[in-house]
Amino acid sequence: MIISQLGYYSLIFGLLTSIFIFFNSSIQLKKNNPIISDKITGLIGFQFFFVFISFISLIYSFIISDFSNETVYNNSHTTKPLFYKITGTWGNHEGSLLLWLLVLSGVLLGFIFKSRNEPTNYRLLTTLLHQIIVIGFFVFVLKTSNPFNEIFPVQQEGLGLNPILQDPALGIHPPILYLGYVGTSIIFSAALASMISNYLNKSWAKNIKFWILFSWIFLTGGILLGSVWAYYELGWGGFWFWDPVENVSLMPWLSLTALLHCIVTLEKRELFKKWTIVLCIITFTLSMVGTFLVRSGILNSVHTFANDPSRGIYILTFLLVLVLLSFVIFMIYENKNFTQESGIFTLSKETAILINNWFILYFLSVVLIGTIYPIFLDVILDEQISVGPPFYNKLILPFLIPFVLFMSIGPSMKWIKTNFKIKAKSFLVIIFTLILSFFTVYFVGEKNIFILLLFIGFFYLLLKSLDQLREKTKNFAQIFSHTGFSLLLISILLNSFSSKEIIKNIQVGESFTLKNEKIIFKKIAIEKEKNYESIVGFFEILDDKNRIINLQPEIRIYNEPETATSEASIKTTLFKDRFITINIIKDQNFFNVRYQHKPFMIWIWISTLIIMLGGMFAIFRKNKEVNI
Amino acid sequence: MRMFMKSKKLLKIKILIILILTFLSFKNTAVSSSFSEEQTVNITKNLRCLICQGQTIHESNSDFAESMKKYIKSELENGKTNDEVFSSLIEKYGQWIVYDPGISRNTLLLWALPLLLFLIGGVIIAKKIFRKI
Repeated sequence: MIISQLGYYSLIFGLLTSIFIFFNSSIQLKKNNPIISDKITGLIGFQFFFVFISFISLIYSFIISDFSNETVYNNSHTTKPLFYKITGTWGNHEGSLLLWLLVLSGVLLGFIFKSRNEPTNYRLLTTLLHQIIVIGFFVFVLKTSNPFNEIFPVQQEGLGLNPILQDPALGIHPPILYLGYVGTSIIFSAALASMISNYLNKSWAKNIKFWILFSWIFLTGGILLGSVWAYYELGWGGFWFWDPVENVSLMPWLSLTALLHCIVTLEKRELFKKWTIVLCIITFTLSMVGTFLVRSGILNSVHTFANDPSRGIYILTFLLVLVLLSFVIFMIYENKNFTQESGIFTLSKETAILINNWFILYFLSVVLIGTIYPIFLDVILDEQISVGPPFYNKLILPFLIPFVLFMSIGPSMKWIKTNFKIKAKSFLVIIFTLILSFFTVYFVGEKNIFILLLFIGFFYLLLKSLDQLREKTKNFAQIFSHTGFSLLLISILLNSFSSKEIIKNIQVGESFTLKNEKIIFKKIAIEKEKNYESIVGFFEILDDKNRIINLQPEIRIYNEPETATSEASIKTTLFKDRFITINIIKDQNFFNVRYQHKPFMIWIWISTLIIMLGGMFAIFRKNKEVNI
Repeated sequence: MRMFMKSKKLLKIKILIILILTFLSFKNTAVSSSFSEEQTVNITKNLRCLICQGQTIHESNSDFAESMKKYIKSELENGKTNDEVFSSLIEKYGQWIVYDPGISRNTLLLWALPLLLFLIGGVIIAKKIFRKI
């Protein structure tokens, strides 16, 4: 109880510190002090500390199951394992916003430390602008989503956490995702500050790149965790469904990726200044739009914990204020910063990056329009439509082919001008690509020219990326992320075309076959855990070489709240996953068994990790001067 | 020489446009098999389970999904085509049930807007690349 109070007052102090920082930094800006006073640095530290204390108090309330706290009462239960009590802290609306605030104040602290060698007025301006966002979120949390509301009389038992959220991958998914998502806020503040303080130059680009990479890596990781979770927890073997909630995390990722390529051009050539700023603003706006869409309850999905219109209206208004503010700053300082960028761009890295941005922004617009169009149609014409995978496949897949072709040749271009010499080696790569693609298409058995073209594009990207390993100055960041991306596309494509599935209603003791495998339903057992009971099915798979693989899918019946979930049992090998789920059929002795072959599943995860690794190379390579 | 360079670049752009148009003209030509089982799956994968959260009827095990699967299978066995099944379902449950929004008066903008933005982006970039000093 007392801890809840501590958390609450800590938040109030945090808000007061923010207001204090805001005024202090504007006074210092006027004074034109050459260095930032320790006072401001200290205050930023305190601000983070207060939010941290508040966050820890909430975690503590969850751990001790303090049901006088409304958030804990609504989302926890004494029988839950400790790990899920802790992750339950951010598995709800109020707690997740506190996490937002924690990351928001944390990145500012990080920024102040990292930017020690940069101009003072730029650092102060960034602090000032960032405080506007921080104050906005403090007020949002305190006014509409206070995590420390008390309930009286104190309840004996909580309502429990949604069982499908009780999962290790999903436990750490929100913090990782938020580091990426909210990390974009500092890019936004710094971009506007750099315009005002006339610091939009090569060294700004060099320094802000860290935060772009930081957000990008964590966002990639967060999306990966979410997909892995969807794959084994939702029980149908898919990992991406173009669900609005997935889309809102993909959108900032796309614009961050575009920004990442742009910022390098700014760093090396002082080009695309205006566009870089626009991308910084777009990226953070998309993060806010995501927060708005998820938190307002407009979307119908597992992520929407609350259905409170006042929250949605607040975020939307706040978002509009921020966009308006950035628009005004952009207009006022436009002429000061942007000189006409002259020069005919020829075959050069600049041109390649422009084309990269062109395609990425197109993909972004497809996802954005596909996500929000149905909402508008519903509001304006009262007609409901679903925009699902067919829409995205049709609009994205054809464009992927030219995109990956440009992506393959882009990195081997030089800045300013490239003299292309077609060497015999280049033909070798093309020949290898063609052989690989024909072989793959033959192997998959999809005799379709469109799929062949997709494979040619993806394999070409893979071989061209690997080919760069032979060069003298290697850029591991780019090689890794491009190789990872091509592997990701190849494995997704292979996965979607050669997945096999069989669904049968059978009793214990019966069996069925898929391809050359025999699936035998051996027995059933009932196990009792602390917070659920489970019905475990024991299955034996005899593969084509008569080896035995054991799989044990479960049906879990959670006690608080009472819900049944189906836990898949997965056997992963390098070439395919064997995936099995069972379900009870009402009033019958039969079980509904779904058995799937999911080829190259593990490669989807591995290639995403390779992409992230590329980002990490870029962070740690900092001091060495290498061409991107 | 300049003129020559310019026409060469124009040619490249033309080739690019032709290539893009060619790619666009490809359509997913999924061959529907005669097995009603596979056909049922193709249809149910494209239908929203109305009582679930973001699941297709194919994936779901809810009563609604199960009865839909049976219904669609029987309709196919009665000799109805995929299109007929879809349109009867849309008539009954509305466009919301189908994951493919299709092209209609309501969804024209949905399809056209991204493509339009792509073209506009292309024009801006072309201007930047071929701008005279």
